[in-house]
Amino acid sequence: MISFQKVSVSYTSSKNALSNISFDIEDNEFVYLVGESGAGKTTILKLLLNEVRPSEGTILFLDKEITHKKMKDSHTLRQSIGVVFQDFKILQDDTIFENVALAMKVKGFKDKDIKTEVEQALELTGITDKGLKFPQQLSAGELQRAAIARAIVGNRPIILADEPTGNLDPKTTWEIMNIFKKLEKTKTIIFTTHNADIVNSMKRRVILLKNGQLISDKKKGVYEL
Amino acid sequence: MNEIFTSLRRSPYQTFASLSVLFFTLLLSGLLFISLTFLYGVLNYVESRPRVIVYFDTSSSQDQIFKVKDLIEASGKSEKVTYISQQKAYDIYLEFTKDDPLLSEMTSPEILPPSLEVDAKDPLFLSEIAQLVASEEGVDEVQFQKDVVNNLLSLTNNVRKFTMIFFSYLAFMSIIVLSTTLSFKIALKKEEIGIMKLLGATDMYIRKPFILESVFLGILATALSNVFLITLLIFLNSTLGNFFADISKLDIKILNFNFTVFPFSVTFASVMLTVTAFFSLIITLISSFIATNRYLK
Repeated sequence: MISFQKVSVSYTSSKNALSNISFDIEDNEFVYLVGESGAGKTTILKLLLNEVRPSEGTILFLDKEITHKKMKDSHTLRQSIGVVFQDFKILQDDTIFENVALAMKVKGFKDKDIKTEVEQALELTGITDKGLKFPQQLSAGELQRAAIARAIVGNRPIILADEPTGNLDPKTTWEIMNIFKKLEKTKTIIFTTHNADIVNSMKRRVILLKNGQLISDKKKGVYEL
Repeated sequence: MNEIFTSLRRSPYQTFASLSVLFFTLLLSGLLFISLTFLYGVLNYVESRPRVIVYFDTSSSQDQIFKVKDLIEASGKSEKVTYISQQKAYDIYLEFTKDDPLLSEMTSPEILPPSLEVDAKDPLFLSEIAQLVASEEGVDEVQFQKDVVNNLLSLTNNVRKFTMIFFSYLAFMSIIVLSTTLSFKIALKKEEIGIMKLLGATDMYIRKPFILESVFLGILATALSNVFLITLLIFLNSTLGNFFADISKLDIKILNFNFTVFPFSVTFASVMLTVTAFFSLIITLISSFIATNRYLK
């Protein structure tokens, strides 16, 4: 479980990036974080990745408090998180297989296990035949599939997706969303987006943020700013 | 291993610069190590053979000389006392000057002083033996190695200090050059490092390829410099043999471990290899830690 309890973050003394935010996310829950640019969506993801620290409040991650976790110990919680970004963050000099395998290598998995699990992830995301290709040879949609495959391997119960459909055309966006639908049964997914269509069609929990404040938190919400 | 080769191949100039700096550092360190061990070897040799030479007037009788010989032997401070007659001194002189007949012709046994060569039981007895015989009848001059040992000791200490300072300078320069070239490489992989950190890679996981690459260059530089140094030692073996004249063997002791410095031995080569490999490891580890630290903060 993830829990934010009265969390505030201030980058400057004049304005808070997050103000007194509280919410809980259960295991295997799918949550949309919506709001205008600068609302605080990415700050929430950065808090979970231990890239920034809260100025106030408490954060529980997988039932453990991470509020004051040292930056140098970030890897311990990041190994439980799969990340998917708008710009894919795929290594250009490595093949797709190697990119996906990296998420397991950093956790010290054996080569045999890596091969099996990466192949399964590539199959789940529909890019089985792209494993030996380099990122330059793939389309944006295929790269995002690879990023998702990387996010789900190596026993990572949580996926943080920061506007993962932002760079994709509508058709590819829906293909990607179908993959996320398959994953929500086994993963906790926190998904930030500006795309009203996908939020409205999926009818999942929606947390709306504005100017760093939590405006609404609805179980089957829609995109409304 | 493949990753190391790929990384080295992708930046050939940086690889060449790093390898060259490491090679020259280890080569110079190796040369200093050889110089120092040879000096210690000579010092050891001289100290292990404490000798006093008592020269007599050419007019001294054999009885006078043997009286002094008995006196020394009775003191219990000598290991061996050898009488060198005028004829024997002349024979030795002829052997030394066999390439220059003119010098031999100008000398005769009568003008060379008879002497006693005294091997002391301990270097500490040298001056005591010298004092014991200095005022005896017929004794012209007493020479012993105190000055030679002191000079050698002073030279060795100075070379050791110079070696420490020069090696520190070399190591410092190598660390700067290596960490700077490595920093360029890391800067090119900044995005890759960022992704690895997001995926939960530990600092050591990120450091590892850079450390391995540096250590690999260190191993290569150690091998190259040692091939050069060992070839040089083998090549100079006979020249050094002539230089050291009657010194057939130089030994030194390091940490209760005795080994032969001269003539060339596999043991000495192994010690040199170990020492340079150790220096190389220290330099490459420090360099890679400095370079990676900047980007892991």
